[in-house]
Amino acid sequence: MTGRQKKQIINAIQIVLILIAISIMLIPIIWIFLAAFKNHVDVYQLKLLFTPTLENFGVVFDAPYYLGAKLLNSSIVALVTVVIAIPIATMAAYSFSRFRLTGETAMLVMILATQFVPAVVIILPFFVMFRDIGLLDTRVGLILVNLAIVMPFAIWMIKGFIDGIPLDTEEAAMVDGSSRIQVILNIVLPMAAPGLLTAGIFCFIIAWNEFLFALILTNKDAVTLPIGLALFKGEEGDLWNLLSAAGIIIMLPMFVLALIIRRYFVQGMTMGAVR
Amino acid sequence: MRDNTLKYLLVLPAVLVVFATAIWPLVESLRLSFTVGRLNKPNFPQGYLGFENYTWAFWEEPAFWNSVWVTGIYTVLTVALTTLLALGLAMLLAPGGRLRSGVQTLLILPFAMSPALIGVSFRFMFNPEFGLFDAFFGAVFPPLADISWLAHPQLAFAVCVMADVWGWIPFLTLVLIGGLASVPPETIEAAQVDGASGWRVFRDVTLPQLAPVLAVVIILKSIFSLKTFDQIFMLTNGGPGTATQTLSHYIYFNGMKYGQIGYSASVAWLMVIPMIFLTYAYAKFVFRKAS
Repeated sequence: MTGRQKKQIINAIQIVLILIAISIMLIPIIWIFLAAFKNHVDVYQLKLLFTPTLENFGVVFDAPYYLGAKLLNSSIVALVTVVIAIPIATMAAYSFSRFRLTGETAMLVMILATQFVPAVVIILPFFVMFRDIGLLDTRVGLILVNLAIVMPFAIWMIKGFIDGIPLDTEEAAMVDGSSRIQVILNIVLPMAAPGLLTAGIFCFIIAWNEFLFALILTNKDAVTLPIGLALFKGEEGDLWNLLSAAGIIIMLPMFVLALIIRRYFVQGMTMGAVR
Repeated sequence: MRDNTLKYLLVLPAVLVVFATAIWPLVESLRLSFTVGRLNKPNFPQGYLGFENYTWAFWEEPAFWNSVWVTGIYTVLTVALTTLLALGLAMLLAPGGRLRSGVQTLLILPFAMSPALIGVSFRFMFNPEFGLFDAFFGAVFPPLADISWLAHPQLAFAVCVMADVWGWIPFLTLVLIGGLASVPPETIEAAQVDGASGWRVFRDVTLPQLAPVLAVVIILKSIFSLKTFDQIFMLTNGGPGTATQTLSHYIYFNGMKYGQIGYSASVAWLMVIPMIFLTYAYAKFVFRKAS
């Protein structure tokens, strides 16, 4: 066998392995997509050919499930979390990126470390406090605790983007008599805008998918989509066609957002430990 | 305003938020861990116990040790399997080209899925009557055909591990592809010219240069594995019995179902301790990169 043939065979084997791997990765997702369009009889069979129906999407928004209310809660909670987190994180990120602060490393380590605190540890005191001040089962309460998981990511991610903006334009503007605030507003923010949008989308996905906080803090009014999944456990077991329809409503927007920012996903998740 | 004042004003809100949403609950959890802390009784947290919650967990609660054991095995298995499989997939995908880049893009999808939904989807896939993976395993290993996976302790645990590995492979693969891209191709070519076999090149040239990225990946994955809750809750809810009850689930159950906030806070703090070491190791990598 010539070297060339050997190379071709190796490449063919690799392609087969890649196709197997990606099939395994996609099958559970495809299966949910199919089940969402099956009626409740077809879903209990392993068949690929069926008459698609949109009925499930109507049912989940109707009584008694009212998924629309959960969709609204999820959207408001995730959006407000991001709207609060990004400006605060941007201010801090700029300062960490451009100045030397006393205790800077300590602050950065602390922010990094909070990301790794188990959510169960954070939520116990919040549950007790919210019970006392009446914030249980409110969107406000959920937004407050979501800030805990979103802020460290946002600060580190935006710091990474601002680190990448050259100093020259800022310095030139300062020489021309602009104040620091003007420089931030007129020069840094426009240049960092794509980065801020990326960080915002990233945090939105995290807040949207958040589960444990919502499970513990909400039970009726402020229930979010991931918790809403538990609704579809009927007397006779899981209602898979409805679960799947709800699953699509949860994951489809995140797929779109994730594809938009896919180049920054790795950097965001590792807080710049890997670029 | 002088920069010297401004720079502290700029970080102040962020530091306050982090204090209020992370540092305060950590400290408050520690305080609660020394109290009786029964939610369903008046005058919460009903007085101090010293270390009694901790000694209770250690000496009187087999369920605590069970969850430590489950979490430990779970972490070791998921970290090892995810890292190995992701490394393999990264090696396959790293060369680039249309097919491989397309697959890399598709890998984002499972990664953007909510872990709770991953739990649901795996419960679906392993349903004894119409689960696709259940049918597949039944066809390949006939002895497994009539078994209800999620009702069997070890198999339910295996499904939890599979769901976790499935959910994390994309992220680790993408990180490792990035790592492989930063290995200088000259070093690999030089080894190939010297006549080294593919395996030798991988072991002696690629792997050592990939080590820092692998270390970051393993630390990060260990942290997330130790914390696992969402999928477990949706997939098995800790069952059957307590066969898949991780520490996070055990804490949730004691705190929220039985209202024993004091006790669950003490277990939660026991869980913080390994996190401190992992975070320390992680921070070292982050700051080495930054400087």
